[in-house]
Amino acid sequence: MNQFLELVLSGLALGSIYSLIALGLVVVFKATRVVNFAHGSILLLGVYVIGRLQADLGFWLACAIGIVAAGAAALVVEVVLIRRLRGGDLGALAILTLGVDIVLLTELTRRLGTDVLPIGAPWGANVVDILGFRLPESRVIAAIVSAILLVGFAVAFRLSDWGVAMRAAAEDGATAGLMGIRLSRVGAGAWFLAGALATAAGVFLVSFPSAGIDASVGLVALAAIPAWVLGGFDSPLGAVIGGLVIGVVSVLTAGYQDEIAFLGRGLGDVAPWVVMLLVLLVRPSGLFGTRELTRV
Amino acid sequence: MDPMGDVALAVRDLEVAYGGAVKALRGVSLSVPTGAVVAVLGNNGAGKSTLMRAISGSLVAHGGAVTAGSVEHQGRELVGLDAASVVRLGVVHVPEGRRIFGDLTVDENLRAGGMAAASQAARQNARKRVHDLFPILSERSRQRAGLLSGGEQQMLAIGRALMASPQVLLLDEPSLGLAPQVVERIVQVIREINADGTTVVLVEQNAAMALAIADLGSVLEVGCVALEGRAEDLAATDEIRERYLGVTPSEDVAESELPAAVHVSSADGDRPAADLVVENLTVRFGGIKALSDVSFTVEHGTTHALIGPNGAGKSTCLNVLSGVYRASGGSVRYGGTELRRLRPHRIARLGLSRTFQNLALSERETVEDNLLVGRHRLMRTGIAAAGLRLPSARRERARHLERVHEIASILRLREKLYQPVETLSYGDRKRVELARALCTEPRLLLLDEPVAGMTHDESVEMAAAITAVRSSLGITVLVIEHDMTFVMSMADHVTVLDFGRRIASGPPGEVQHDPEVLRAYLGSAAA
Repeated sequence: MNQFLELVLSGLALGSIYSLIALGLVVVFKATRVVNFAHGSILLLGVYVIGRLQADLGFWLACAIGIVAAGAAALVVEVVLIRRLRGGDLGALAILTLGVDIVLLTELTRRLGTDVLPIGAPWGANVVDILGFRLPESRVIAAIVSAILLVGFAVAFRLSDWGVAMRAAAEDGATAGLMGIRLSRVGAGAWFLAGALATAAGVFLVSFPSAGIDASVGLVALAAIPAWVLGGFDSPLGAVIGGLVIGVVSVLTAGYQDEIAFLGRGLGDVAPWVVMLLVLLVRPSGLFGTRELTRV
Repeated sequence: MDPMGDVALAVRDLEVAYGGAVKALRGVSLSVPTGAVVAVLGNNGAGKSTLMRAISGSLVAHGGAVTAGSVEHQGRELVGLDAASVVRLGVVHVPEGRRIFGDLTVDENLRAGGMAAASQAARQNARKRVHDLFPILSERSRQRAGLLSGGEQQMLAIGRALMASPQVLLLDEPSLGLAPQVVERIVQVIREINADGTTVVLVEQNAAMALAIADLGSVLEVGCVALEGRAEDLAATDEIRERYLGVTPSEDVAESELPAAVHVSSADGDRPAADLVVENLTVRFGGIKALSDVSFTVEHGTTHALIGPNGAGKSTCLNVLSGVYRASGGSVRYGGTELRRLRPHRIARLGLSRTFQNLALSERETVEDNLLVGRHRLMRTGIAAAGLRLPSARRERARHLERVHEIASILRLREKLYQPVETLSYGDRKRVELARALCTEPRLLLLDEPVAGMTHDESVEMAAAITAVRSSLGITVLVIEHDMTFVMSMADHVTVLDFGRRIASGPPGEVQHDPEVLRAYLGSAAA
């Protein structure tokens, strides 16, 4: 029982990281109708910058630079490639982002080689005791930071002009333009935010218990895709819930892998996708996604 | 040319093409004096909405582009600017079909409209003005805009545009699909807005309303200005009176012009007479009663109209009849068959066919293919025979194509048969919908606002076509419509709904003077 609760807590902490990554995917999709497969390598770019700079500049300054760098990289992708194809075919745009992903990932892999860069975070490999459960300090801080960022996002999305503009543009871009909302700014802002959020999440993704920054981080980040899809593509709340579900599911399957060894090894990687498929079978638009309604 | 001094908007020799090919405007010029109301009239497809889009910089979203000419506002060229920049120069466009943000609250819709306001103070003032003009919007500020009625949504769309404190307001079809009483309110609002110093360009199918408010008017025909002048002069010209105001009824002409093909007998041959009997029909959505205890009988071979304010339950009623919605109580019988528990395709097989208020056509398919879909229930060929192109399948297809062409001729769609539906104007699409419904060889035709968005002469033509189809094919018609001239001229019987209840039922002449109906629906428009 104790082990179970510990795994659930650890899963929720990991899930909060996925939530941040999935939220970026939602924001980009809402603002520009793009399924962004380059999200993982933009995250990798952000943490790579941090990993390279932290020894010289210190962790916090490196973090700030890395977050801005990843946001800027995402923004460049939007301005240079996506904007020209605004309103284009969903499939074509998704394949375009796959191309971006391959280019970015190849270059970062070449630079990283076989290195595993340390992230150099002050929490290192500390383990803390909370209510008798032993959890990595990095995961506890991840949960707190994610909670702050998610609440901040929710407030801005609900109440600020930026949020109103974003939701108006998501619902009917052409009309939002007629109201004076600059769609190009909404789009650019969304991509920047997504890149920045991904990097913030990435810092924790590569902290202990992970080994550090290597080329596979981009792939690990893709676990956010089932979180995003099962939450329902265009729902920020769905991204958060989806992230938590996927986090718990993958930690549980990994934690109990000896007990479920008859299903084969490495189930932790597959489980998120299985959960996603099961949810979609019951709710084709995801947990909180906009259902297509037609009024006749 | 410009009797009131300054020019707020100068359109010169404007040409617009869609998809690089289809010319929608060919050299349109228009001068809008500061402080005036200018009406732009014309048939569907004449280019009115295109003109609005070209001015507001929103053509791109519709695949169009300005190929020549200019639009000037206070010395600034608007062509080439994006929509958001045009708004910042003080020219704001309320698009056709309201297009409010349904998922946002009323207040958030207004905030979205105020994004381009010059300052926080300007926003505050604009909001106060909007709330003064439309008290309903401040009462409902926390509600989701999608829950508002059609009239309230139109007010929100106008209010949202006013949040940017425009100098020039472009209104595209503000009266579309609204009850006469609501249209009156919109007219007052436009007058008030104009009295506050805002210049208004008004695109309308409802020419009587538009010319009553406007100082000047322009009539577009196939992408060119055909007529222009002072509104009262235009209202007095014979052409306008006949084509847009319907002063000299042209029904006789329209009827005799109809092709002989109307008189081809239907495929089913003789049909038994059957009435549609609706008894105590009740429909609930969650806790809300959309219809309560509604009863009426549509007699065989007649045209029966269902009228009432927006949100009265007319479309709901039609949706129950065609099997899209489930009734919570009561009964609907057609020739002895209870329809309430039948699925839509079973109801269609009984010979009930409908058109939709919001068009429901396959946009990318040609008109001919859309109409062939309507023949589906009459076709015998299976997938295998059709795939192998067996002679029997080819013969059957040829036979049905022939009928499709006949029906297309009745509704004057012959030349448009091979065009994709998405390239047609709104009025033409409405005709395609009607033609598709006719292609099913219905015995009872359910029409949801068949002439909404049409000019007077188009709606007269439509009425003539429906009447002709009815008498020659023996079809019974149940129609929902706001256009009172249309209803009164063609209906044998009228049922009036308000808040989901039947408040009157009888011959048009009687219903028209029913005090209850005047209060709830017609307002002073009937006087």
